[in-house]
Amino acid sequence: MNEAAVSVPRAELPSVRFRRRVVTALIASGSVIASLVYMKADPLALFRDFHYVANLLGEMLPPNIALLWHKPSLWTSLLETISMAFLATLGGAAIALVMALFGAANTTPHRGLRLLVRSLLAAERCTPNFAVLLVLLIAVGIGPFAAMLSLLIGSLGMFGKLFADAIEQVDPGPLDAIAASGASRLQIIRYGVLPQVAPSIVANVFYAFDVNLRAAVALGIFGGGGIGFELNVARSLLRYKDMLACLILVVIMITVMERVADFFRRQIFSREGVLN
Amino acid sequence: MTRAVERSFAVRWRDFSLGRYRRHLRRLTLLAALVVLAAWRAEVNMHDLITGLGRGLSMVGLFLPPKWDAFPEMIEPAFVTVLIAATATPIGALCSILFGLAASRNIAPAWLRAATRTAIALERGIPEIVILLILVAAFGIGPFSGVVALVIGSIGMLGKLVGDAIEEIDPRTVESVACTGASRAQIIRYAMLPEVLPSLLANSMFRFEVNIRASVLLGAVGAGGIGYELSTAMSQVEYNKAATAALVSFALVMAAERASDHLRSKVLSRGQLA
Amino acid sequence: MLSVNSLTKRLPDGTVLLNAITFTVEKGEFVGILGPSGAGKSLTMRCMVGLTSVSAGSVVFTGEQGRTYTTTTIKGNELRRARRNIGVIFQGSNLVNRLTVLENVMIGRLGRIHPLRSWLYGFTDREAEEALAALDRVGLASFSGRQTGSLSGGEMQRVAIARAIYQRPLCYLADEPIASLDPKNSRAIMKLLQPLARDHPIVGSFHQPDMTAEFCTRVLGLRNGTIVYDGPPRLTRAQLAEIYSQDLSLEPEETLDAMSGPVLGHPVTSTGHWL
Repeated sequence: MNEAAVSVPRAELPSVRFRRRVVTALIASGSVIASLVYMKADPLALFRDFHYVANLLGEMLPPNIALLWHKPSLWTSLLETISMAFLATLGGAAIALVMALFGAANTTPHRGLRLLVRSLLAAERCTPNFAVLLVLLIAVGIGPFAAMLSLLIGSLGMFGKLFADAIEQVDPGPLDAIAASGASRLQIIRYGVLPQVAPSIVANVFYAFDVNLRAAVALGIFGGGGIGFELNVARSLLRYKDMLACLILVVIMITVMERVADFFRRQIFSREGVLN
Repeated sequence: MTRAVERSFAVRWRDFSLGRYRRHLRRLTLLAALVVLAAWRAEVNMHDLITGLGRGLSMVGLFLPPKWDAFPEMIEPAFVTVLIAATATPIGALCSILFGLAASRNIAPAWLRAATRTAIALERGIPEIVILLILVAAFGIGPFSGVVALVIGSIGMLGKLVGDAIEEIDPRTVESVACTGASRAQIIRYAMLPEVLPSLLANSMFRFEVNIRASVLLGAVGAGGIGYELSTAMSQVEYNKAATAALVSFALVMAAERASDHLRSKVLSRGQLA
Repeated sequence: MLSVNSLTKRLPDGTVLLNAITFTVEKGEFVGILGPSGAGKSLTMRCMVGLTSVSAGSVVFTGEQGRTYTTTTIKGNELRRARRNIGVIFQGSNLVNRLTVLENVMIGRLGRIHPLRSWLYGFTDREAEEALAALDRVGLASFSGRQTGSLSGGEMQRVAIARAIYQRPLCYLADEPIASLDPKNSRAIMKLLQPLARDHPIVGSFHQPDMTAEFCTRVLGLRNGTIVYDGPPRLTRAQLAEIYSQDLSLEPEETLDAMSGPVLGHPVTSTGHWL
C-alpha cells in the first residue's frame, strides 16, 4: 500500500472544525449570558431563591379540590372557555375559507383582491392577540364574548394563510375537467376545489381548536372570562390553593378535549362522503 | 336533440331534493345545537356586537394618530422583548436535547421515558401565561420570569420533537456504530445527534418566532418589554401611546417571522451541520 | 484466529434457529457462507458480534499475542472491548448519513477512544490522516468531505469497508455485503475484500454462489440453521442443491454451468487457503 497521495483538506481537519465549533459555542453562550446580565435575569436565582418556589409550592399544595363542588361557577367557566374556543375556531374557519377563496391565485376573481386579502391576513397574524382583545373589551365589554371575537380574528389570520396556500396547491386536473363540462366558477369551487382541500382544512381546524383552547385560557386572564379569569382572580386574591385547583382543571380540560377532538376527527375521516 | 330527450334532461323541481343530505342531518343538527349552546355560554350577543362595532370604530379614532414621539422610549422595551425570546430559545433548545434523550424509547428506561413524556405534555398543556403567573408569584415580575416561562414552554414543544426524532432513528445505523465497540455515550454523539440536530435547529427557529409573540404577551403580565408598555398605556388611557407600542410589537413580530422563515430555509437546504 | 463452537440459538417456543454451528477460521481465509433466505446466515453473524444473544455455544477470537475475546457471554464494557477487534460490514452500509465520509470512517475506532474525549474534543488530526489512508485504499480519498447520504450504494459500501479497514480488526465480518448492489458494484466490492483477507480473515454471508466460487477460499453451506457443507468454494450442482434444495432462486442452469469451468486467477490449495 503506497502512502496517501493526498492529505486531509484543511477544512475537514478535526482540529480546525473543533476550533470553529468552540468559537461558535463561545460566541453564542457569551451573547446569551450577556443578554441575561443586561436583563438582570440571573439564572442562579433559580437556585438561590428556590426557597420562594418552595414556599409557593407549600402554599399551593394541597390544591383546593373541594372548590369544585363548593363553587359550581367554576364548571360554567370551564364551559365558557370551551365555548369560546369552539366558536372562535368554527367561525374563524368559515370566514377564513371564504377569504381564502379570494386570497388564492386560482380562485380569486381579481388579482388585486388577492394581494389585499393576503396583506390583511399577514397583518392580522402579526398583531398581538391581546391588543385586539383590549380593543374589543372596550367595544363589547368585559367577558367571554370579547375573548371569543379576539380568538376568532386570530384564527382568521392563521386559517386564512393555510387555506389559501392549500387552495393554491390544488391539483388543477379535476378543475379543468369540471370546467370543461361547462361549470360556473362557483361550481368548480364546490366540486373541484373543496373536496381536495377538505382533509387538510379539517385537520387544521382540529389543531386550531387545541391551540385556541389554550389561548382562551390565556385571554381569560386578561379579563376574557372563563377558567383563565377564575385562575387569575384566585391568584390576585393570593388564594393559591384555589389557583392550583383551577390549573388542574385546565390541564384536565385540555387532555379531555384532545381525546374528544380525536374521536370526532376519526368519525369524520372514517365515513365515506361525509366531506360532501 | 328531440323534444322528448330535452324534456328528460331538463332539471325539474323535484330533482332538488335534500335527501342526500339526510344522512348528514343528524350530525348537522348536533353541530348546530353545539353552536347555539356555545354561543349562549360565551355570551354571544349580536346586538352588543353591532353597537360595539360602532363604538369600537369610533374608538379607533382615539388610537390614531399614534404618538410618534413616544417611539424612542419604545425601543428599549422592544429590545428586551426580543432578548427574552432570544435567550429563552437556545436555552430551551439545549434543555430539550436532554429532555428528548430522556423521553426516547431507545435510550431511556421505561419509567424515565414515561415520566419525561408526562412532564413534556404538562409543559405543553399549560399555557405559558399561566406558567408565568406562577413564576411571578415565586420570583417576582421581570424578564427573568419571562425567560424561565418561555424556556419551559419551548421544552414542551421541542422536547417532544427531539424525543420523537430520536425514536425514529434507523436502528441499523445505531447497530453499525455499536459494532465498532462504541460506548453508549459515543453512540449518542455520533449516531443519534447528527440526525437530530438539523431538524432541532429548524424547529428552534420556528420556536423563536413563537417565543417572540409569547414574549409580547407575557410582557403584559409582568415580564417587561413592549407588552408591558402596551398594557400600561392602555390602563393609563393613553391610547395613542398604546397604538405606538402596538405598532412596534407588530413590526417586531413581522421581522421575527421573516428572519425565522429565511434562516429555516437556509438550514433545511444545507442539510448538514458543521 | 476465530472459532465458533456449537453456536445454538433457540426461540422460547422451542424452534431451533441455529443448530450447533461449529467452524474455525484461520489467517488468510476468505470464508463465504451460502444458504437460502432464513437459513440463519445473518443470525449467525449477529451472534458472532454480540448483537443477538445465544442459547448455547461460544465464539472466540484470538489475537496476536494469544489474547482471546469472546462475544457470546459478555456484556457492557467487555463486549465493547471485544467488538473493537471485529470489523463489521452490513448489507445496506448503515452509515450515519448526516456525517461526512471521513467522519464515518473515523467512527471505526470509537472503541479505542475514551467517550469523554469523543464528547469534548472529537477526533484528532492524526486519526483523520489515517482514516484518509483507509479511504484511499478503497479509492474514495476525494470523497472525504462529502455528506455520506449523497453517495451511491456502491460508494457507501466502500466507505463501510474503509471504516472496517481503519478499525484494524482481527477479522472482518460481512453480512450480505453485496446483496443490495448491482453486478458491477458487487464485483468491485468483492475485488476490494479479497486482498483484505490476506492480512485478516473475512467471514461473509452471500447468496450468490458464483461470487463465492470466484473470490472465496472456503465456503460454508448453511441450511435451516445447520452447516451442511464446509469446503472448497467451487460447489457441484449436487452440493448446491443440498444447500438450497428447492430454494434455488437464481438461474440454476447458468450458475451451475458457470461454476463447472475453471476459476481464473487465484491458485487455491485443496484445503481452501491462499498460498
